[in-house]
Formats: sequence, C-alpha cells, structure tokens
Amino acid sequence: MTSTIERPPVKVRAGSQKSARTGGRVAPLFGLPAAGVVALLLYLPFLWTTYVSFTEYDGLASPVWNGLTNYKAMFSDPDLVGSLVNTLLWVVGMVTLPVALGLLVAVLTYGHRWGTWLRLPFLLPYAISGVAVGVIWGFVLQPDGALGQALGFFGLPGAHTGWLQAGPGNTLMMIVAVTWQAAGVNALLFVVGLQSIPNEPLEAARLDGAEGFKLFRHHLWPQLRPITTVVIGLSIVGSLKTFDVVWVMTQGGPGTSSETLALSMYKETFVLNDYGQGAAIALFLSLVTFAASVLYLRYQLGEAREQG
Amino acid sequence: MSRVKTPVLVVLGLIWLAPVYLLLVNASKPIDGYDAKTVWKPAGFALFANFGDAWSKAALGDTLVATTLYSVIAPVVAVLIGAAAGYAIVVLKLKRGFGWFVFIFGGTIFPLQMILMPLFSGYANSGLYDTRVGMIIVYTAISVPFSAFVMRNFFTGIARSVFEAAVVDGGGLFRIFRSIYLPMAGPALAAIFILQATFVWNDLLLGLTLSQSESVRPIMPALTGLQSTYGGAALPTVLAGGLLVSLPTVILFLAAQRFFSRGLALGQF
Repeated sequence: MTSTIERPPVKVRAGSQKSARTGGRVAPLFGLPAAGVVALLLYLPFLWTTYVSFTEYDGLASPVWNGLTNYKAMFSDPDLVGSLVNTLLWVVGMVTLPVALGLLVAVLTYGHRWGTWLRLPFLLPYAISGVAVGVIWGFVLQPDGALGQALGFFGLPGAHTGWLQAGPGNTLMMIVAVTWQAAGVNALLFVVGLQSIPNEPLEAARLDGAEGFKLFRHHLWPQLRPITTVVIGLSIVGSLKTFDVVWVMTQGGPGTSSETLALSMYKETFVLNDYGQGAAIALFLSLVTFAASVLYLRYQLGEAREQG
Repeated sequence: MSRVKTPVLVVLGLIWLAPVYLLLVNASKPIDGYDAKTVWKPAGFALFANFGDAWSKAALGDTLVATTLYSVIAPVVAVLIGAAAGYAIVVLKLKRGFGWFVFIFGGTIFPLQMILMPLFSGYANSGLYDTRVGMIIVYTAISVPFSAFVMRNFFTGIARSVFEAAVVDGGGLFRIFRSIYLPMAGPALAAIFILQATFVWNDLLLGLTLSQSESVRPIMPALTGLQSTYGGAALPTVLAGGLLVSLPTVILFLAAQRFFSRGLALGQF
C-alpha cells in the first residue's frame, strides 16, 4: 500500500524548465503547513498515547513502564470485557441492520419514478448529529414512553419494557437508534453503486426474462461488490467509534452495562484518571480500525492513484 | 414490481418519520401542557417559547456563537492549508509527493480516542485548554487531511498547460496558487467546507474533552448538559434544544445533498 508510484517521466519543455526547478525548491513550503499541523496535533499525540499505553500513569506523576498490564486488563477486567463484548455487538449490528436496510431502500428506490422523494425520510436523520439522535431516541425509549405507548396501542407485548435499563437490551436498542440514523447514508452509497452499473447487460438480462429478486441476485449484487466493501468498511470503522449516542442515552450505564470501548477509553482516562488503561484501549481500537480501514482505503487510494 | 415497491417504501418511510414527528410535536408543547402518557398527541404550540427557554436557560446562545465561529473559521483555514498541500504535490511536483500525501491523509485513519489524552495534557500545559483559539486549532488539524485529499484529486484533473502558461506569463508560484488555482477550485473548496463545517458543528468528543466554560464549549456538549440538567422536568425544552441545534445541518444537508454523497464515498463520517 505504501509503495511509491512513480509517474512516467515528464518531458520538460524549454519554457517550464526554470519553473520546474524553482517549483521543486519552493514546493515544500506549500506542503509544510498541512504536514506540520498533522504531525503536531495528530501524529505526536498518537505516539504519546502509544507510549503511555505501556505504562501506569495518572496524568500527574511520571509514567511508569508496566509492559502489557493494561492490555491484559482489557481481556480480564469484567467491566472492560463487557465493554469489548458490547463493541462487538455494535460492529455486528452495524454491518447487518443499516447495511441491509440501506441496500433495500437503494434497490427499491433506484429507477423509481419518485425515488428521490421516497428516499428522503431515510436521509433526513443522517443530517442530525449523534447527540440529537441520542436526545430523540432517549425520549422515544423512555419507560412507558413513545415506543411503549405505540406497542400498547396496537396491543403488542412489551409496552412496559425498560428499554435502556439492562444489558444487552440497551445496546440493542441503541443500535436500532443508530440504524435509524445510518440506513439512509448506506442507501445513498448503494445508489451511487447502482448508477455505476452499465445498463446494456441489465437490459439483456431483462430480455432473457430475469426480473425481481433473480435480477438482483445474479446481475446487480455481483456488480455492487466494490461499493458493498466500502459500506461495510465504513460501518465497521463507524461502529468502533460509537460514543455520542451512548454518551447521551445511557452514559454507558446502568453501571457499565452499555459501555463501548470508545466510551470506556474516555471514562478510564478522564473520570478514573487511569491514563495508561485509557491509552491501551485507544491503541487497541486504532489497530482494529486500521485493519478495517485498509478494506476501503485500498479502494480509495487505488482510485486516487489511477487519477494521479 | 412497482406495485410491491411503493407500499413497502411508504410504510418504511412512515416508520422512519415517526421519531421526527414525535420530536416536532413534543418540542412544540408548552411545558405545563406536556403529559408523558400522551406523547403521540399534539397539544398546543409553544415551540418558539421553548426555543427561547433552551437559548437562555442552558446558555445555548453563548455556545451557538462559539460553535458558529469554530464551524466557519476552522474549515476555511483547513481548506486553504489542504489546497496548498494539494498544489505542492500535484502542480509543483513536490519530491516524493505520494509519500507526503499518504503522511497527511494518514492523519485521519485512527479514531479520535487516540489523540484525546495527549491533546488534553498538552492544552492544559500550554494554556490552550478551554480557549476558543484552542478549539479552532484542533478542529483545523482534524479537517486538514480530508481537505488535502480532495484538493490533490481536484488539481490532478487540471491540465498541466494551465500552469505552464501562467509561468510563461511571469506569475510567482504563490500568485499562481492564489489567483489561478484557488478560484478554479471553487466548487471543491465549497464541498470540503460544507462537509467539515458539519463535522465541527456535530462534534461532541473534542468539545467535551478540551473545554468547559459556557463561552467556549461547543453546542453538542452543551446540549448533553441541558439534557442531564433539565431531563425530567422540562422535556419539551430539551427536545426544542435538540431541534434547534439540528436545524443548521439539516438545512445545509438538504441544500447540498450531492456534496454529502460525494464526501461519503470518500470515507468521511
């Protein structure tokens, strides 16, 4: 991924020879602000967090090296293991529910006469911040609140459930809340994917009598693979970072029953002053995020290279 | 086929709109007219009074000014810095340009959690903690990689002859950047600006970590504060607050939908 791609040698014309030389000398000055700001505020903190993750550190005294202790705690401390399991739930939930719904909405609206309008209800929640989503769904999921009243009205069971009051149910309900927010985005991405499928083979398939699910299964789905990779990659990365909605709706509670790793990192560091533990969680999250990012970054950078 | 499609979409769409309906109806109820047992029924219209309450009680007013500053200044600076980097890499053929590009773009692939603690310590030690300048700096830094990514791609699409002609005309490299390349990049700059402004507006984590006073704290942390303070007693106020902070991004989104779909495909958000 990091191998440098050499441009084909550019034939320098007489007129641009001087500029090419001065450009070569001045060019770093234009690149430095970006590289500098990124190095100072993103890479440097990254390195410090990496170091601290192998130490015991409370933010005041000097960090004391303690090897892998913080990492072992992540897999043995019951609260952190619970947080790990919840994060896993989020990943599984987010690569299934919003992706499947997004695909459904995309396929149903694509080519539909009122497609753009029918897609709008799903897109609207995407424009709302995670905090606002948390506020709205915290309200909907109150005990005997909007959802309970709706269930009661239709005579369905569960009207008096305390949706957010015990794990893992609270995590599942918050996944539903984020599905509400994220499905439209995925639909939009799948529509972009559908638009890039050439029309002729589809027409030919239709003439052969393929339609409905069969057309989708054999002719659309295989061609949607690149965009599906991107959607799933983005979903994994997004789910690993889950913080806002949980922070607003349950603060990770009751107890630690709905904590995610992103939230545990924040609590360990800024509430419990266990900087080393927080850093270890952060690094672990980063590694998993990086692995998931490679999925879609390869696609992106591939595209960037083709263009560049 | 369309006979099945439309009803499915309509039913799903209505389910999707239900929370929006609940938000609008209950954010509009007068506080003393709000009854937790009948949230589906509209009752009175006091939306603007509730906006006013959220504005004054939770000091959302102060924080709105600060957040507007952040969401305008940081993306503008980031767009310029990113454009300069793109110009250096593509137009000026910066040596090992692809390496520079990977370095700058790589700044975004790890989660914010990775930089929170050092930023907090660094800000506390340097006096940047709980200052507006500090918030603008961090939001700028976060926005630079994406900006450089888009601008690099954009400048790649511009013919080399444009640069050569400008050099022959005797323009300095900075002037060529400022008066030829930047104006040409208008649409791309606008797209980056809109996406990053939305990101800054919606941020919770950085605001929570790097600020505390009402005049510095961004809007999303302020809203979570409003919720925990007024949670039970004045739900219409909290919901009105939620609606109020969502309006700018919803309007921006509806006005510039295609920018968002493009940004998405590039892996932002």
